[in-house]
Amino acid sequence: MASPAATSLSGAGAREPLDLYGRPPWRRRAADRAGWAACLLALALMGAPLVSVLWGVVGRALPGWRWDVLWQPATSQGGGLGSEILGTLVIVAGVVVVAGTVGIGSGIFLSEYASGMAGSVLRAGSEVLAGIPSIVLGYVGYLALVIGLHWQFSLGAALLTLSVLTAPYIAKSTEAALRQVPTSYREGADALGMAPLHAMRRITLKAALPGVVTGLLIAVAIAIGETAPLLYTAGFTDNLPSLRWAHNPVGYLTYAVWTFYNQPSNVFQDLSFDAALVLVVMVLVLIAVSRAVVARAGRHAERN
Amino acid sequence: MSPALASTPTTPAQWPEAVDLTTRPVALRTCDLTLGFGSRTVLQGVNLGFPKGTVTALIGPTGSGKTTLLRSLNRMNDKVPKHWHQGDVLLDGQSIFAPGVQLMALRRRVGMVFQRPNPFPMSIADNVLAGVKAHRIASRQHHKAIVKARLSEVGLLDAVSDRLGSSPFTLSGGQQQLLCLARALAVGPDVLLLDEPTSSLDPISTEHIESLLRALVPALTIVIVTHNLAQARRVADQTAFFYQGRLVEAAPTARLFEEPSEPETARYVSGRMG
Repeated sequence: MASPAATSLSGAGAREPLDLYGRPPWRRRAADRAGWAACLLALALMGAPLVSVLWGVVGRALPGWRWDVLWQPATSQGGGLGSEILGTLVIVAGVVVVAGTVGIGSGIFLSEYASGMAGSVLRAGSEVLAGIPSIVLGYVGYLALVIGLHWQFSLGAALLTLSVLTAPYIAKSTEAALRQVPTSYREGADALGMAPLHAMRRITLKAALPGVVTGLLIAVAIAIGETAPLLYTAGFTDNLPSLRWAHNPVGYLTYAVWTFYNQPSNVFQDLSFDAALVLVVMVLVLIAVSRAVVARAGRHAERN
Repeated sequence: MSPALASTPTTPAQWPEAVDLTTRPVALRTCDLTLGFGSRTVLQGVNLGFPKGTVTALIGPTGSGKTTLLRSLNRMNDKVPKHWHQGDVLLDGQSIFAPGVQLMALRRRVGMVFQRPNPFPMSIADNVLAGVKAHRIASRQHHKAIVKARLSEVGLLDAVSDRLGSSPFTLSGGQQQLLCLARALAVGPDVLLLDEPTSSLDPISTEHIESLLRALVPALTIVIVTHNLAQARRVADQTAFFYQGRLVEAAPTARLFEEPSEPETARYVSGRMG
């Protein structure tokens, strides 16, 4: 009699039906479990620092938490973080406007119009910009804006420098998101005779919104968290930000985290942890808001 | 039968038996149209007229060039890399390739429905209005009436009237295709191009769309690409058979199927060539 394998391959003769209750060989089961375990371990390794940071910051900041920290300006005796919080918010808002406009515009150009050589050059340029260390960009901003244009330490110098730092991320994610938009949407818009910009605004960009928002979120998170470029461009002050473009330094939270922690007084060390907590909460609120925006925009989206 | 499909405009029995194609003016005509992509020639010297207010079916095996022809009638091929053409396409006697022709205006007059339903990611009502808004055809206060009129024209209103604000992707495939049809009709085209519009749909939706097409003529001129020979027989006044990039034969539908003059046509319509 021929071997079972031979008969099943030829399709002729009687073949043993596959046993539905037969367990796969132990080797395969072991490999399966090991794979799962590795994934879980990786997840835990990623989650552990997050939990540790939250624990450290919240655990240290909450016991002595005073709500007036949020609006009191800093004094030589301690005070609050009012001016730093406002400063960070103003800088971040400026970055959203400047880097958001430039980044989304570049992303649209890269995905819709830049083809061949020009596209490659622009894309490479944008990637190089994204790869430059932030402190180098800070120094460039210092030379060009603070010294070169005589703006001194100022809001303008700070938010332009941070915008140069973050715009490439927004451009990249916008371009990637636009490329994911199904061709059928573009064809449908073309077949209706829609103007390209109209189709971009109403259909393509809307379909790409989750990706665009993710890019903005990364950019804003960077802008909230950066310190090095701001040391060169924003300077620091305990005063409330004046909202003037030039000649007036701005206070910001990351500076408070770093400087106050190195002060001998307990009051300032507590302020340092308060600042860290405010930063963490800001980022969390930002993520929640952007999720809500994406969910609202995507309520008519195709689900695959 | 779903409510969307209950209000079928006409039944097959009422379809016009024969339209005299020779006496009708031509809405759209290709003149010695040769086109291709790069070094490949896809269509070779096509001369074909589409009489006003009739349905023309384009049939032929895969790769025969019928879809390419359809897509050149509203210049959808323009965007394809290395696209080129010789000859011309005339819409009411005017070249659609002439310099100065506005693509947006051309496509408003020559609408298109695709093989796979492609509603936009916006509400059902906004889908119908997409072209209306893009061309600023009507002011805001008329939008609601337009939505209702167009949806009822395609027989979809009853099924969706209580969820005009919902996502179109909650609809069935057939309903999505009807929505796309309503969207195309809403900008008031003279010619409607359909690229195998029912190939991804169930038989009932297919039947509904076919009778809808019959109801749209003679107000519209319709060109439909189909792989389904029975569908061509059911809906088309004129049928054109393409083979290897050439127009082999175009004739009134009954004659093309029953007394084809070319041997290739005979082999194809009798099922001896796929």
